[in-house]
Amino acid sequence: VHAAPHYDFVHATAALIAILTLLSALSLLAVKQVHEQVRVYAVQSAFAAGYTLLVGLNRTEVALIVLAVLTAAIKVVLIPVSIDRAVTRQVSEHEVPLVVQVPMSLLIGVALAGLAYWSGSALPIRGALLPTPALGMPLALVLVGFFFMITRQNVISQIVGLLTLENGVFVATVAIAPGLPFAIGFLLLLDLLPAVLFYGVFARLIAARAKGTSIEDMAVLRG
Amino acid sequence: MGAWLVIALGLALGASVLTFALGDRPASGWISAGAAIGAFLATLVAVFADHVSRGRHAFGPAFFLDGLSGVFLLSVAFVYAVVAIYSIGYLRPGIGHIRLRRVYWPLLNLFGLALLATPMVANLGVLWVAVELTTVVSALLVTSEGSDQSLEAGWKYIVIGSAGLALGLLGIVLIYAAGVPVLGDHYSPTYTVLHAAGPHLNRALVHAGFAFVLVGFGTKVGLVPMHAWLPDAHSEGPSPISAMLSGALLAGALFAVLRIGAIAQLAVGASYVHVLLLTFGAMSLVLAGFFALRQTNYKRLLAYSSIEHMGIVSLGLGIGGPIAAYGAFFHVIVHAAAKTLAFFGAGDVLSRYESREADDVRGVMRAAPFTGTMVLVGAMAIAGIPPFGIFRSELLIVTGGFSHSSFAFAGLLVLFANVAFVGLYQTFHRMVLSSGEGTGPVSARVSRREQPLMAAAMLTSLTVVLVLGLWIPGPLDQLLHSAVAVIGGRT
Repeated sequence: VHAAPHYDFVHATAALIAILTLLSALSLLAVKQVHEQVRVYAVQSAFAAGYTLLVGLNRTEVALIVLAVLTAAIKVVLIPVSIDRAVTRQVSEHEVPLVVQVPMSLLIGVALAGLAYWSGSALPIRGALLPTPALGMPLALVLVGFFFMITRQNVISQIVGLLTLENGVFVATVAIAPGLPFAIGFLLLLDLLPAVLFYGVFARLIAARAKGTSIEDMAVLRG
Repeated sequence: MGAWLVIALGLALGASVLTFALGDRPASGWISAGAAIGAFLATLVAVFADHVSRGRHAFGPAFFLDGLSGVFLLSVAFVYAVVAIYSIGYLRPGIGHIRLRRVYWPLLNLFGLALLATPMVANLGVLWVAVELTTVVSALLVTSEGSDQSLEAGWKYIVIGSAGLALGLLGIVLIYAAGVPVLGDHYSPTYTVLHAAGPHLNRALVHAGFAFVLVGFGTKVGLVPMHAWLPDAHSEGPSPISAMLSGALLAGALFAVLRIGAIAQLAVGASYVHVLLLTFGAMSLVLAGFFALRQTNYKRLLAYSSIEHMGIVSLGLGIGGPIAAYGAFFHVIVHAAAKTLAFFGAGDVLSRYESREADDVRGVMRAAPFTGTMVLVGAMAIAGIPPFGIFRSELLIVTGGFSHSSFAFAGLLVLFANVAFVGLYQTFHRMVLSSGEGTGPVSARVSRREQPLMAAAMLTSLTVVLVLGLWIPGPLDQLLHSAVAVIGGRT
């Protein structure tokens, strides 16, 4: 027996955020310019932070509220700004070569989102505030991020894809395991460690090649 | 016992800080090697003096040791120690090409720290953090030769590895959520808590969670088809780092899979865990065998051999039953020793011929008899020739397979162990014993004198893989049996 759906303000807001997060992930597939991609990621992260804040307020859980604030600071401001700096210095306004063109990308993205909702519905779990299936939107973020990552031939686009994937895991955590006690510590590590490293590696990549951040010519190692 | 674990971690951390302060000086190498050897001795005491094999030991909320952790802890500590010794020699002028000398030692020690922590920690979240830390640090080490190819390899590694680990984290979150109905919203996911709640975890979530864990951490184990980063990182990184990746990092990630698998099987039954391990293990064994045959780069060849060996371990554990599982755990230890030997030898050859292409290298035995012997013996050891340890572990897995009616998988192992042998033999035999001229330029470096510390590291690895092929000491035998008991095969 299905319970009557709640149409209170909090649930409606959460549902809206979930839809907007999903749309932001899909719109990533339509954006070709590197710095626009970074901005879309910032917007997507803002939604993720907003959802975390909503869950934290609803459950009156201080840890989640703090996490939401840190997420906003790091993923909406710090990471996008530092990536944007690296981009404008090297490849301002450059369009990323695509393995799969935009219309096809969007179709595949929608199909992946459908797959995510379908497989999410196989798991018997209720997410904090989210409409069922709770794991639909987070899994869609994971799949779209993954797809974006492997079809965009640019170092920074690949980071954006990876960070989108990671946003999916983050939202999933808040949705299905909001009480995870060490959540703050390890989710921050999840963000910060690779981020710090990426800058190190790709700054050197850029310096060594001085040609921009395309990985088209990174095809020496095969087989 | 907890104190010994803290000492091991403290030595690695202290060495990292100290070498960072000292920079590129000879003292950094000696400090690192001293810390690594000290850490290895401390883990020996922690594992053997307090009889880890007799059961589970939790030390406060932070540390947890049992037979399973013991096997992996010894392997990674051993690899860290021999790699540190070898690296001193490898960084001497005129031998290895390391451009990022300033950060090599601090990063190596941090890598050691994260690897040592992986089998020691008591909680799923910290386990994930430890494995994630190994990726970050080792990806930088892979790029430390500073060439374009090493940057490409490091980039591939960090992107694929991070994506894999994000999926692994999703798996851990799902398993945490599986415990919420019995353990409440706020619980600390320590192994002890999850073991106790095991049979009551939500089955559907554990099913999904373990699948994500296997694919996610399996990426770092190098299981096919998530292995794409591995050959590049192993081949383009400096040889001591290749040895550390192959001997310790892959095993550390496999440990995470098995640790979570030991919990998952309480909820969903061992056969689910076994089927997944068998599937990925068999794919890795078969495809890595074929890829190994067509490699012209001898370090890539060794990398594919690592994928194959991780496949063999997964296969042995997937077959189930005490004999195959015992063989698989023993394989982890002997593979660590044999593969460090092989990569050390390959690094020595690379430093002489300055080429990774097997066709550029001829007559190593003539130019440098000791190196030639080590390379050939190392290749034979990883190919599973008696009397080396890998022959023994593979024989145990095959025996276990037959006694457990897994004829197909045991047969597959026999077949592809031979394929790998052919690949390794034809390449290394030509490089070492053939009398012709290589296609590469030959410099005076080819017949330089042996570097004593590199030689010492090779002899240490050789001794371990040889002795373990002939004799398994009693305490180690007990440890292996208790590891088997942890994953549920009765002994």
